[in-house]
Amino acid sequence: MNKSLMNAKDAELIVKSSVLKRRRKDKRLKFYGRSTIFIALSFLVFLFYSIFEKGIPGFFQYYVTLDVNLDQKRLDPKGDLSHESLYNGDGRGLVLEALYKVIKPKGRKEKKSAKKIISSNADVRIAKMILNDPSILGKTIPITFAVDDDIDSFLRGYIKRDTPESDRRINDKVINFVDILVKENKVIYKFSDYILTGSASRSPEIAGIKGALIGSILTLVVCFFLSFPLGVATAVYLEGFAPKNKITEIIEININNLAAVPSVVFGILGLAIFIGVFGMPRSIPLIGGMVLAIMTLPTIIISSRAAISAVPPSIKDAAYGVGASKLQTLMHHVIPLAIPGMLTGTIIGMARALGETAPLLMIGMVAFIVDIPNSIQEPATVLPVQIFMWADFAERMFINKTSSATIILLVFLILMNAIAVFLRNKLERRW
Amino acid sequence: MEMNEDKKDFKTNTVGDIFSDNPKIVSRNVSVYYNDKKAISDVSLDIGSKEIISLIGPSGCGKSTFLRCFNRMNDTIDGCKVEGKIFLDNENIYDEMIDVVPLRAKVGMVFQKPNPFPKSIYDNVAYGPRIHGLVDNKKDMDNIVEMSLKNAGLWDEVKDRLDSPGTGLSGGQQQRLCIARAIAVSPEIILMDEPCSALDPIATAKIEELLQTLANDYSIVIVTHSMQQAARVSQRTAYFHLGELVEVGYTKHIFTNPTDIKTQNYITGRIG
Repeated sequence: MNKSLMNAKDAELIVKSSVLKRRRKDKRLKFYGRSTIFIALSFLVFLFYSIFEKGIPGFFQYYVTLDVNLDQKRLDPKGDLSHESLYNGDGRGLVLEALYKVIKPKGRKEKKSAKKIISSNADVRIAKMILNDPSILGKTIPITFAVDDDIDSFLRGYIKRDTPESDRRINDKVINFVDILVKENKVIYKFSDYILTGSASRSPEIAGIKGALIGSILTLVVCFFLSFPLGVATAVYLEGFAPKNKITEIIEININNLAAVPSVVFGILGLAIFIGVFGMPRSIPLIGGMVLAIMTLPTIIISSRAAISAVPPSIKDAAYGVGASKLQTLMHHVIPLAIPGMLTGTIIGMARALGETAPLLMIGMVAFIVDIPNSIQEPATVLPVQIFMWADFAERMFINKTSSATIILLVFLILMNAIAVFLRNKLERRW
Repeated sequence: MEMNEDKKDFKTNTVGDIFSDNPKIVSRNVSVYYNDKKAISDVSLDIGSKEIISLIGPSGCGKSTFLRCFNRMNDTIDGCKVEGKIFLDNENIYDEMIDVVPLRAKVGMVFQKPNPFPKSIYDNVAYGPRIHGLVDNKKDMDNIVEMSLKNAGLWDEVKDRLDSPGTGLSGGQQQRLCIARAIAVSPEIILMDEPCSALDPIATAKIEELLQTLANDYSIVIVTHSMQQAARVSQRTAYFHLGELVEVGYTKHIFTNPTDIKTQNYITGRIG
């Protein structure tokens, strides 16, 4: 018998005892894995809770219903129902008169306090209603107006009644008037007209994300149409045609490095090249899209290359075997099989681009833009920048609106990912 | 013309008769390198018209590499370099003027693992004729597909489901589909790289039977690991060892009375 080999019984014992140890180690690893997942999940739950807890109320706000006499002469001084005429009309005065009828202020001082109750946007609302339906002119109809953000905060309980008047943003008289309105059942709490359809404003009660949302969509469209074709073409060339030499190697290393470059650097690049050298206007989605496209390209190239190289070589052999050219092999067989992977990479890149703020700050998309952009050449802002700006404002109502905008951004992201998953499943060949 | 050079003057280390009376392919002093590694060295061999010749030898002996020279499939491998000359109908296929697309239409290939495209049975067969523009209407294409599938002995099994995926067929059926795909572009030579190694004996028997019919129309070069298969299907057999063509001759002769000691060892199962 070989002396260096162990007795079978001894070996069995040692193996048995080590099995217990190994099993314990397995269990410990499983436990660690589960606890990390639990920690990550609880952070996520906390995040969602805090966003939704603040964000859901942000979608609602307080309104006051007033019977307004839509006097034709005062609302439409020129009498031609033009924008200019209507926006010069005295809607504000008519609204205040309707308000005074309910709360009956005495004297100039009280009237001055009462003016603070209704949002400054009331006259615009009337002008828009008339533009929609001129037949309401001359009638007295009930219209709901957003209340000023301070009143909103008071009604929500953020501004407390028992705070000394001097420390309060609204005085006792205004509180008194609000009480009357509440008693007369004129105040309602409902889904905000402004959050989805309004654009940027310093008055939180009429501020909305429509402008930023459209800005984001326009920017992403530009980004997609630049980065997807370029990225896929680059990946196809590098995988299918590029000779394996030093230059290709340097290009590959650089592409991989670009994926890790801080996004603000791309903003500086955009500022220097597009705005500095080519003299393009700042703040427009076209430039935003171009900058984000440069930022997204490496991600798309890397994932597209992975998708292309994952296509089984036997399929390529089969195509070459019947005499397909390189281009035919790529177009007929390789790319159709690689498309789902390419799309996944693109969507990951686009999702990152959607949430990006820093590079857009550099090219001026942080500007305060009230108008809703109609084209990629009009100044615009984007959702994350809007969130960033709102988070910066002091008014209490903006805290809720910031979370509301974050919810909308998340919904947008989930929608994009859902489309990607849907497309991928549809294009994936199961045979 | 080099192809018709005096056979007696040609010197080679290979045992047996490398020449064919009616050659379709003539290869002379072919060496293949993968980067700096020599995969096959100085191989000269004629492939006769409408004959089946099998290439046998242990793994890594270069028989597949040699096979892939005939339709320049080695071009698709990075760092692969081919030296020597291969004439197909008096034309050097490694000439700079030669385009691989018509070459591969003329020299079809069937691979080790059945590799139908992830498309329908019909599209698998129609792909070659379509990209080469062999026909311009649906009726002629239908005809090509039907004839190819018939010649590949698959028509009766799939005629009712031409639209179903080619990858849904059994392994043996897939391989016959690949043969149908290869013959759909009317090649003159078919290269087969261990076509039965992934198939069961029944599917293998079918393919071997098919090979005999195909030999009426095509020259067939088949690489195989199975000596029985080589013995069953081919007229001539070439034995490769470590990148060299050791011995070539009539199959009967090679398997019953090999001349070279290495061939003897392989045939009798002592190596390989």
